[in-house]
Amino acid sequence: MTLAATAGQLASGATTTAAGAHGFLSPTGVEIAFLLVGLVTFGAALVTVTTRQLVHAALWLVVTLGGLAVEYLLLTAEFIAWVQVLIYVGSVVVLLLFGLMLTRAPIGRSPDADSGNRWAALAVAVAAAAALVWVVVDAFRTTWIDLDGPAAGSTRVTGQSLFQNWVLPFEALSVLLLAALVGAIVLSRKATADAATAATGVKEATTATDVTEATEVTDSAEGRGGAADQADKGGVR
Amino acid sequence: MAEPQPPTRSRFPGSGLAKGLAVTLRTMTRKTVTEQYPDVQPELPPRTRGVIGLFEENCTVCMLCARECPDWCIYIDSHKETVPAATPGGRERSRNVLDRFAIDFSLCMYCGICIEVCPFDALFWSPEFEYSETDIRDLTHERDKLREWMWTVPAPPALDPGAEEPKELAAARKTAEKLAAQQEAAVAGSAERPAVQPESAGAGAGPATPPAAGAGPGTAPPAAPDGSEPHADEQARATEGPTRPAGESKQQTDRPRREGRE
Amino acid sequence: MNDALDVTLRLLIVFVVFLALPLIVGQTEHKVMAHMQGRLGPMYAGGFHGWAQLVADGVKFAQKEDVVPTGADRRIFQLAPAVALLPYLLVLLAIPIAPGEGAVGQAIDAGVFFVLAVMGVGVLGSLMAGWASANKFSLLGGLRTAAQLLAYELPMLLAAASVAMAAGTVSLPGILDAFEWWWLPWQIVGAIVFFVAGLAELQRPPFDMPVADSEIIFGAYTEYTGLRFALFLLAEYAGIVVLCGLTTVLFLGGWHGPWGADGLGWVWTLLKTAVLAFVVIWLRVTYPRLREDQLQKLSWTLLVPLSLAQIALTGIVKVVIQ
Repeated sequence: MTLAATAGQLASGATTTAAGAHGFLSPTGVEIAFLLVGLVTFGAALVTVTTRQLVHAALWLVVTLGGLAVEYLLLTAEFIAWVQVLIYVGSVVVLLLFGLMLTRAPIGRSPDADSGNRWAALAVAVAAAAALVWVVVDAFRTTWIDLDGPAAGSTRVTGQSLFQNWVLPFEALSVLLLAALVGAIVLSRKATADAATAATGVKEATTATDVTEATEVTDSAEGRGGAADQADKGGVR
Repeated sequence: MAEPQPPTRSRFPGSGLAKGLAVTLRTMTRKTVTEQYPDVQPELPPRTRGVIGLFEENCTVCMLCARECPDWCIYIDSHKETVPAATPGGRERSRNVLDRFAIDFSLCMYCGICIEVCPFDALFWSPEFEYSETDIRDLTHERDKLREWMWTVPAPPALDPGAEEPKELAAARKTAEKLAAQQEAAVAGSAERPAVQPESAGAGAGPATPPAAGAGPGTAPPAAPDGSEPHADEQARATEGPTRPAGESKQQTDRPRREGRE
Repeated sequence: MNDALDVTLRLLIVFVVFLALPLIVGQTEHKVMAHMQGRLGPMYAGGFHGWAQLVADGVKFAQKEDVVPTGADRRIFQLAPAVALLPYLLVLLAIPIAPGEGAVGQAIDAGVFFVLAVMGVGVLGSLMAGWASANKFSLLGGLRTAAQLLAYELPMLLAAASVAMAAGTVSLPGILDAFEWWWLPWQIVGAIVFFVAGLAELQRPPFDMPVADSEIIFGAYTEYTGLRFALFLLAEYAGIVVLCGLTTVLFLGGWHGPWGADGLGWVWTLLKTAVLAFVVIWLRVTYPRLREDQLQKLSWTLLVPLSLAQIALTGIVKVVIQ
């Protein structure tokens, strides 16, 4: 949940600052909407980290991330907004929920969802938020988005700036992700190879891979059975 | 689109999938085989077991049907009446009068044993099957209703070409031939041996069976040929000893037996 | 004022289409599936060949009691059908059916990303339903839904990215404007991957493992009754419409057709969508359900490599023709 907490704090920090920085009189409709959505996002983020119900936290995270996407939309960064929905709401939260359901997702409050070091977490979150706010404010102090002109965040503009001005960070990030991917594959292959040798002893390489696949399948099946048991307990409780 | 394991050896991967698609598409272009039941009545085969009809004139309250019924779903009540002697000084005869005959079709399993076992052709299969009720008690069809079903009993289907002759006809022909031979012998012998007469009278009970069996051809045709085998024997025996059902009719309600069952 | 009227009118039309087309697809499924199995299907409701069967079904659903199980998480349980259904309505808003500004509910710059993102959100409804029902079958259904979504989202996205690369834009009308007939053979692999992955994401047979009735009753929707259940069903059929419309727009050229280019574009779009919807039904009737491991294997070992190969092919051809 620290991830969610950080994300929520991040979101709330960014949005409230942006709204507050533009605190002129006679705000436009877009600005009012921006502020309101920012408040909703901030509230959802708070609930995400404070609720005692695990799955509720994940679902409030959906609201937070969706609110963030709406903020992007209001800033005319359409492409970023949809990618936000696609990656975070559509995949990350689904993965999160999948993991929760697979392991432990009781209905109702889970008493162990409360962490003892909440004050430390709060301090870290506030520090992170302050740092980000400071960076953002410092970086974009005099930058104003002209909402009436051509969209500043359209796909074409985003792509051009990404692949002309920021291509090095982009590629570095790609390499990082690739490294993570390869690392995950290596880790999983090593573990299954060990399991296969332990289970079957010396065998042909091809059959060994078959066996690993089979064990993977049974593992996942057991995992689901366990999840069902968990659910049953949750339901009883 | 290709499947992990091709089911059969085929030249192209996925040809099995294409074949499956072709099968469903071909089926779609063909005429459907759906029975349009409530709109169109089904064409039932002969000897369909729909409901059991009672031809109560034939019933002698012999209780065989109720006794043989595996489900105990036939209820029969009766009483005895004495018939005054036909001739002055003769013995009074008692006969059974049917008071109640009911079949509980919520219990019946349509085995047809009652119809098989009936010695007097009082029960018949009818192809009618639309008698569902909203109350299970209404599924106990009383005598009147069973009688109504009797009018729906179809004529027995014709024999298959080359089939064996029905037992009744065979027996009747045999007796008739025997009788004819005896008459010829009698004509030839011309009262030389009068002791033959009682014998021929005993055998003459044989020809009497077809009218008894065909008591209802005007109203309802006789039982199907498959039911005729035990029935011919039984009837022959019944004509030999007409008092047998009466002798057995001490308890002609089913109540004691139901108590015994419980 | 004129703008407001215009917007209202568009929303109204999209809403009517959203309600009507899924019903038409559902009725077609009734009849086509029946005839493919040598049956007649519904014949009574409405008089003529049971055309009003789904209307009757809807009336029945509306009359039923709305039951929430005792142990269920009440609010999430009740919210789930809306989460499942609304995304498809939003997606329908972005699908252009004819050239020009007037023939799309709302022209969206990053249309491809929009539709894929919002369709992914719809699956969240199934997850919520599966978790909140306090039923282990539902939970298993939810898990399978999540696993399936994770497996098939990637090839779907890659296939769509291939078209976006070919067209040089991620706007749906933009892709259609750039469409040429020879894109059809060029992008055929991507089209098949997209369609199959979309079927899996909608949990349509043969990918209906999450609602496999012989194993887990009805998956995440086991505990639902009445109108909420109907909403889930409507979401499934709306999903078919959306998927077929998207495949039409992205891969089959949408309003482009051999004849009648002017003014008849929407006929082509609807026609192609209808043919694809028929294929969806056809596949459902023909193939048995894939097992869970086959399902994952199909995605990771076949669809993902195929879509990557399609992207490579698209890139090469794109560079060559420039």
